[in-house]
Parts: sequence; structure tokens; C-alpha cells
Amino acid sequence: MTISKKIVLIGHFGVGKTSLIRRFVENTFTEDYKVTIGVHISKRTINISENEDISLIIWDLEGQDDIKKTRPSYLLGTNGFIYVFDLTRPVTFEHLNDELAFLKENFSTVPVKVVGNKVDLVNKIYLKEHSEQFDNVVDYFVSAKTGSRVEKLFAKLAQDLIQK
Amino acid sequence: MLKELKDKYHKNNFQYILVDDLGVVLEQDHPILPTIIGEKIQDIHPFFEILTHLLTTVNESFEFSCINLDFNNQEPLVVDVTLKTHNNNNLVIIENLTKHYNNYQLTAQTRNESIINSQILVLKNEYLLEKETFKNNFIANFSHQLRNPITASTIFSDLLINSNLNDEQKNYLEIIQSANKDLKQRIEDILDISKIESGKLILVSKVFNLKELLKNIEVIYNYLASKKGLSFKLEIGEKVPTFIEGDQYRLKQILANLLTNALSYTSKGHLHIKVSHNHSRANKVNLHFEVEDTGCGIAEENLESIFDRFTKIETGEEQTGVGLGLAIVKYLISEMQGNIKVESKIDKGSTFIFNVSFKTSNYTQDQKEELLNNQLPELKQKYNILLVEDSEIIQLSILKILASTGLFFINIISDGEAVIPNLVDQKVDLILLSNTIQGYSASNISASIRSLSKEYKKTPIIVLSTQGYKDDIKRYKKNGINDVLVKPFDKHKLLESIKKHLK
Repeated sequence: MTISKKIVLIGHFGVGKTSLIRRFVENTFTEDYKVTIGVHISKRTINISENEDISLIIWDLEGQDDIKKTRPSYLLGTNGFIYVFDLTRPVTFEHLNDELAFLKENFSTVPVKVVGNKVDLVNKIYLKEHSEQFDNVVDYFVSAKTGSRVEKLFAKLAQDLIQK
Repeated sequence: MLKELKDKYHKNNFQYILVDDLGVVLEQDHPILPTIIGEKIQDIHPFFEILTHLLTTVNESFEFSCINLDFNNQEPLVVDVTLKTHNNNNLVIIENLTKHYNNYQLTAQTRNESIINSQILVLKNEYLLEKETFKNNFIANFSHQLRNPITASTIFSDLLINSNLNDEQKNYLEIIQSANKDLKQRIEDILDISKIESGKLILVSKVFNLKELLKNIEVIYNYLASKKGLSFKLEIGEKVPTFIEGDQYRLKQILANLLTNALSYTSKGHLHIKVSHNHSRANKVNLHFEVEDTGCGIAEENLESIFDRFTKIETGEEQTGVGLGLAIVKYLISEMQGNIKVESKIDKGSTFIFNVSFKTSNYTQDQKEELLNNQLPELKQKYNILLVEDSEIIQLSILKILASTGLFFINIISDGEAVIPNLVDQKVDLILLSNTIQGYSASNISASIRSLSKEYKKTPIIVLSTQGYKDDIKRYKKNGINDVLVKPFDKHKLLESIKKHLK
């Protein structure tokens, strides 16, 4: 049996939303930055249990410095959010709590995974220095470039969606 | 006619598709998307899966703009999609805006790249500043730690040289003294570079006797040159003024650095220093300096880089120094609005040439004479000195110096708390105050002393400091401190400062 779930990736521009999806769907990565306008939609089916597959319809939204600017129709029927920020650019996570509060207020029942991308570019000391901002908020530190924890992120979100 | 032309040039950017409540295509017109009648629209592209639950509504309208649709074997499309739901007859309107959105993408690409680049630049700048601050703090702390031991080593070597030593012992001691001087110079150089890089090196302009400064240099370098079998000559041009206004300490440093270099790269021949008058304008005089040697010379390809930090020319011979001297020289000369160049020939020697402007002094004859006779008065009575210092070797060093003059009674304490009771209990003519007393800053102790009764307002306080930055000196002066001796200091400097303030 296959069920379909819509996952939306949001966050500032240049944080690597498209790269995360390309790593997850095509297992590829490029350093070149191509700005996403509007939305790209892709799909990957993963196996959840012996007889159960889940088809993830992944919406890759154009980056916004303010989540409230997102076109509302893009968010219709969303089953799960992945909020992506760039660990190397503080401007992409300085209003993290406000952004998450907006999601909680408007999509209270939709699970959200918060991920810091480009973990390959920072060290443990840096993460420790920002622990106050990241602890209890960030679910995964990932790298689209190396693929670190990308599969795990989507698999865990898929699990959460099945259990809902 | 209009209809005819319209039909000729009309571009149909729309596709209308009729689907039932399950999404099965019932009818369609102009083909933008590769839909097939009888198949589900959701199977064309994952975007349309969103329709599955929207198709259950009736008489609703949904609009989706800027949807990127990729199909195999077809150019990617960027479309706006509108869904109008009617019972089992739902209309999907596709508007092909690929060209329009592709143009917009180019604009967004430029804008976002430029924003991200400027954010990265700000971060890089912050990182560099942090690194610079860390480095400068490290250098300051490092030199701070070295100052007490070097002071003690300098003072005890100076004291020892005057005791009964045989020739061999004297030779050894001279080597130790020379090493102390080198060590002190290295620390000063590193601190200077750190000050230059953090913009904290500021020139102090005062009237001084230029000819006296040059004569002092002559005495020192004549001696050092003769020890290496070299001749030394100082030439001062006729029109060179005696009194000028500028930073004499830094001018001396420039000449000393150039001469030390010349000395270390020259094994036979001579060292010459020439000073001449270039021109005078308004209240300024421009002087021309040349430091010439007959040393190994500098290869042409190295001429540009010799003023860089940590540059040392490989000559095959052993030279001392860490390669900061010329970088400091260049900076100091540029701060004095001058410039420096070097002319050199391999195995013939090098000449460093620089021009610097100074203010001409408007001192009266009396003031000039006072400068000429700037001898410290001999003290005619015994004075009480309170030494507040927690380093035992510095305590002992100062005790030995002061005792050797027979002019002072000395009371030593190492605890900040004991300063005020000691002052109140006995007469104190001058206080020597270390900046390393645990739990107390020299500024705080001084401020406390100044806040006592009137008689303590004028007791001279000299701080023995391991910190020599301009900001530190300023802070000391603000808190009523009369003078600052930056460690390492020697016997002469200590006595000079004490005598000056007991005058």
C-alpha cells in the first residue's frame, strides 16, 4: 500500500533547500547556486515497513527572509514541514523562533522538522557556541553536500506522518 | 480586419482541461501539458496530486502561481494553475508564463547572490577582527608575562657588573647583558607591530635636541662598529637645525633599526649616517637621512619585500632578529609623512634613504638652554620610598638599586590592602606601585590614595607596569598617577624617574 504525503521545505534563500531535495531524491549535489522562484515539486517513494510505502511529494519553495511572505496556496494540504536554515549565515536563523511560532499558530497539527544545513562547513566548537539558539529547537544538523543525516531526516518525518 | 490580424498574431498561452472529481481528464484544448484523455491528471506531474483533495470541494477557486513543471524530453515549463471546482466537471486552467518567470529568475538570481555575498563579507570581516583581537591580546599578555623576569635579569646583570669580577666573569656577564638587550628589543618590536596593526601606535610630538640624539647614536654605534672592525662616520649637514619638534623616541628607533641591520649584514668596511637639510617651508623642515653600509647587499628581487613583516634576507651568515625591524621603520616613516627607499648592490652594500618633515621649534632661547642642560639635580636629603610590588625578584632588584645610591629609606609591601595603613603610619615621599598586585589595579590604588586627605594629593606615584599601551598610560594618568615605567626598565630609567619627581 502506498500513501501520499505533501512535505514543504521552507526557509531563507540560499540555505540549501533545493540541494537537500536533490540529495534525497536524486542523490546528487552541486556547489552551483540556482535561485528557486515559485515552487518545484518532486517525488520519492520510500519503504516504511514490509507492506507499506510512502510517497513523499516534496514542495521546494522559493526562499523567503520572512515566512509570512509565502504564497498561502503553496501551503494548502501540507502534511509536514522541513524548516531549513544555513548554519554558516546567522541571518538565516536569527528569527528562527518567530518563524516556528508562525507555523505552530497556523498549522498546529502539522509536524515540523528544523534542520541546520551545511554542517560540513562548521565545527563542533561553533555548534557549542550557538547551543543556546539550537538546543531544543533543531532536529538535525545536515549536509546536502556530504549527505550527512539527509536520509534520516526524511525517514523520520515520514515515520511521524504515518503515525499521525 | 482586427480579427484577422488577431488570429494571425495571437499567442495562445492557455490550456483548459476538464477533469472529474477523481482527476480523470474528460476534455482538453490547446496542448501545453502532455495530458491524455481518460488518464488521471495526477499522473502527469506530482504537483497535481494536490488536486486530489481539492477536487472534493464544489464551486471553489484555487490559484497556484509560478509552478515549475519538469517533464522528460521537454523544456521545463513555469505556469500558473487555476482550479475551478464544479460537481464532477472541474476546470483546470494552465497559463504558460515560462518566458516571463525565466526573466524574473535571472533578476532574483543576481539579487540573492549579491545579498548572500555581502552577508558572507560581513561575516568574514567579523571573523578577521576577532582573530586580530585575539592575536593582539595574546601578544600583549605574552609580553606582560615576560616583563618581570627580563626586568630582574637586566637589573641584576647591571648590578653585578659593578661588583668584583674577574675578566672571564665580566665577559660572561657582558654576554648576558647583551642577550637581555636583544630579548627586550624583540619584545618591543613584536609589541610595536601589534600596536601598528591595531592602530594603537601613536606618535608623541615634543621639542628635542636632534644633534644630541644623533651624537648619542654615534657613541653607541661607533663602539659597536669598532667591535666588528668597522669604521663609523656621522655627517650632519650645515643647515640641519639643532631643535626640532617630533617623536624623538621613534626617530631614534628608525635610525637604530637601520644601523642594527647594517651592522649585522656588514663584515668589513664602514657604516655611514648622513643627515642633511632638504628644504624649509612655513614652520616645517624637511630632512634627508642616509644610512649606508658596505655589507653583503640585497638582491634586486628582494628589494621590494624587505619592508614586509618577518622578512629576512638569507645571506648564509647568521643574523639576529625576527625580521620586524624594517616593517616598523617603514610604518614609522610613513606616519611621519615621509618615505623610504633602498639602493643596493650585491657585495657592495646598501643605502637606506628617507626624508621626514619635522616642525621647527618655536622655543625661546631659555627653553632651549634648559633642554641642553637637562641634568637631573642631585638629591640632597634622604627620601622615604614605599614600594608596592608582589614579585619578589622585582622587589629585590629595586631594593638593590635604591640601596646602592644610599639616598633612600625603603619600605616594601606586596599586599594591596596594606597600602593605605602604611601611608598613614609613616612619612612617604614617593610611591612605586606595581600593576600586578593581586586583586587590585594600580589605578584603583592610586585613586584611593588621592582620595585621602590633602597631604596625599601630591605624593608622587610611579607605576611599574607590564602594560605599555597608550590607553593604559592614559588610564593611569587619569587616576592621579604621575609617571609610568614600563617593564623591563633598567637602573638608569628608574633613578631618572624617581629623581624627576622628587625634584
